[in-house]
Amino acid sequence: MEKKLSVVGKNVIKKDAFEKVTGKTVFSADLDMEDMLYGAVLRSTVPAAVIKNIDTSKARALEGVESVLTAKNIPGRNAVGIILKDEPILVEDKIRRIGDAIAIVAAKTEETAQEALSLIDVTYEEIEPIFTFDRAIQEDSPNIHGITNVLQTKHLRHGDVRAGFEKCDVIVEHTYKTSMLSHMFIEPEAGLATYENGMITIYSSTQNPHFDRGEVAAMMAFPQNKVRSVQMTTGGGFGGKLDISVQCHAALLAYNTKKPVKMVRKRTESAMVSSKRHPMTIHARTGATKEGKLMAMEVTMRGDTGAYASYGPAVITRAMVHCTGPYVIPNVSIDATFVYTNNPMAGAFRGFGVPQVALVHEGQIEALAKELSMDSVALRLINLQHPGAETSTGQKLGSDVGLETCISQVLSKRKELDGKEGD
Amino acid sequence: MIRQGKGIACMWYGVGNTGLPNPAGAFVEVLSDASVNLMVGCADIGQGSTTVMAQIAAEELGVRYEDVNVTSADSAVTPEGGATSASRQTFISGNATKKACQMAKQTLAEVAAEVLQVSRERLKFENRQIYDMDNLECKLSYRELMGEMAKRGRLALGQGYYNPNTTMLDPDTMQGSPFEIYSYAATMVTVEVNTDTGRIELKEVISAHDVGRAINKRMVEAQIEGGCAMGQGFAILEKVIVENGKILNPQFSKYLIPTALDMPDIYPIVVESNAQAGPFGAKGVGEPALIPIIPAIVNAVEDAIGVHFYELPITPTDVIRELYHQQKLYEGIE
Repeated sequence: MEKKLSVVGKNVIKKDAFEKVTGKTVFSADLDMEDMLYGAVLRSTVPAAVIKNIDTSKARALEGVESVLTAKNIPGRNAVGIILKDEPILVEDKIRRIGDAIAIVAAKTEETAQEALSLIDVTYEEIEPIFTFDRAIQEDSPNIHGITNVLQTKHLRHGDVRAGFEKCDVIVEHTYKTSMLSHMFIEPEAGLATYENGMITIYSSTQNPHFDRGEVAAMMAFPQNKVRSVQMTTGGGFGGKLDISVQCHAALLAYNTKKPVKMVRKRTESAMVSSKRHPMTIHARTGATKEGKLMAMEVTMRGDTGAYASYGPAVITRAMVHCTGPYVIPNVSIDATFVYTNNPMAGAFRGFGVPQVALVHEGQIEALAKELSMDSVALRLINLQHPGAETSTGQKLGSDVGLETCISQVLSKRKELDGKEGD
Repeated sequence: MIRQGKGIACMWYGVGNTGLPNPAGAFVEVLSDASVNLMVGCADIGQGSTTVMAQIAAEELGVRYEDVNVTSADSAVTPEGGATSASRQTFISGNATKKACQMAKQTLAEVAAEVLQVSRERLKFENRQIYDMDNLECKLSYRELMGEMAKRGRLALGQGYYNPNTTMLDPDTMQGSPFEIYSYAATMVTVEVNTDTGRIELKEVISAHDVGRAINKRMVEAQIEGGCAMGQGFAILEKVIVENGKILNPQFSKYLIPTALDMPDIYPIVVESNAQAGPFGAKGVGEPALIPIIPAIVNAVEDAIGVHFYELPITPTDVIRELYHQQKLYEGIE
């Protein structure tokens, strides 16, 4: 017997509602401490270059500047990344995108910090930038990381796709393209770090404070329990606050100055530097019998992760395993390749590649319905995943597949609304 | 001319990281006045996970929602929560919270059983009372129970963590079980396309989501509505323009997102399939909320003007270009 629930399922008032609607909520940018300094980041204005020299002497000499730091001031690991540690906290030698962090400053006022940035001289030599997938995979293209520009190539194989297509009466084939998108969370990234009694504390706007703790600890060569990471009230993220933003820079400045350091990104800086949605090109072939039974799907996907991997590998995998949509297709073959370029970094964005592939599976269903002169809802219903169905990864689904109910409820709501309009 | 069209689309979404371990944890303490401290790693980024965790804890412990105070996402106080991503926190941190509460409840039940002289299995925790399910008169208030705990020098502490039951995918074929549970959705939209200006206006959305169980229905509906706003941007408005590695529109004046004025009528529908593995049957809705509206808009535009667009966003320029192209085809010029 199902237990009667008394709290779960109730529309209780959100824990943070009162503070938010009365404007009392404290966000990272609102933090203020005695002796607090303001941090700022010098960012690269070119997409690909090798740094020859960084001269910080004029910036250091500016009245009100308390610290100017570069890669050589990092005591531990100068690399961060959710899956691969491929992004420098401060660039040591190679600039891989516009917006790469080169030096950081802490000063008594925001204005002084900005002025100090303008006094830092960076000498660099530009190298050929790569902006397209096609150029990235050519043999003679310069390598952005390591020995290849291919971040990952993956293959999904289920059933026998060639045999599957042989049983098809209709096959549709299309290429889908999606754009690079920006999260545009309403609160730009911000945080404050302190260093007291051998302990670094970071208060920041983040989607994963425990990950931030690990990255700061590795940068400092501290044990993880000497870094405290506290998530402040966060004004949206949508995946864009999963990467390290201000945490490492603020912590490094606080450690060097022994004073609290606050860093708040401007909107433009936020949009330039935070991860983006992967633009993807997806070519799909899908076939069905004349009765409308889906038999085979063959897909190639190409994506550009930009200068750093971020959540890229997770986007590839998730996009691939969701590519059939919620339909049973016995024969599936998918090949996906993501490359590095000198474009802005792409990473996590609400849906991790699934919005991109949803466009494909729903577009293919519509195209097949047209070829078969069949209602597209009817075609969906013929092929819908049901309890116990097998996915393209060979997983047997459990009892909790509620899609058919979703469709019937949508249709009956439509009918109800049409009825009202007719009255 | 205004042409109306309707489109439908479906989606599925695996909850949690794909074929990888991704645990989250929780600590709980029931205090002597029967109020509860819950410490979860889970970062609330506005979606309401803190509220969800408090509801789950209150339900499991048999106290009121107001009795639970949540401290979240502080690495000195809370255990690992993993990322607030992959629509995973209700499912994973929710299960961790439930397990932590079950552990605290075990101690509470031992003491209550001793005081009430009934077996632990017969005890129910509900509405701040602990009673014998076969004899409703045989009961203790939570405060009385906490008094008995104090007399015995016992503390009501619990910890729990949850890691979804998945398998690593085969490196060559990607076969395996990447997720323990999947959310589902179907969405139908109505659009109006102005064939003179190319503007697409989203008029109405019906969006049904299988969320397993809604821990808080109003918050699920809010997620669906927010997802519709964002999906509208994806389909017909947003694009980062990059030239030689440089973003040319990094501000709201040049990167337009939908505002309140762009919102259509939205009818969210909550479907509850009761996921066996979820806390009280819950799945996740954070990302599913966004997804189906995107292809639904594309399909509705096709229904309106007879053109299926394969590249997003569909801008007014794209619409006009395709209509012009269609006209030429019709006239036999091309």
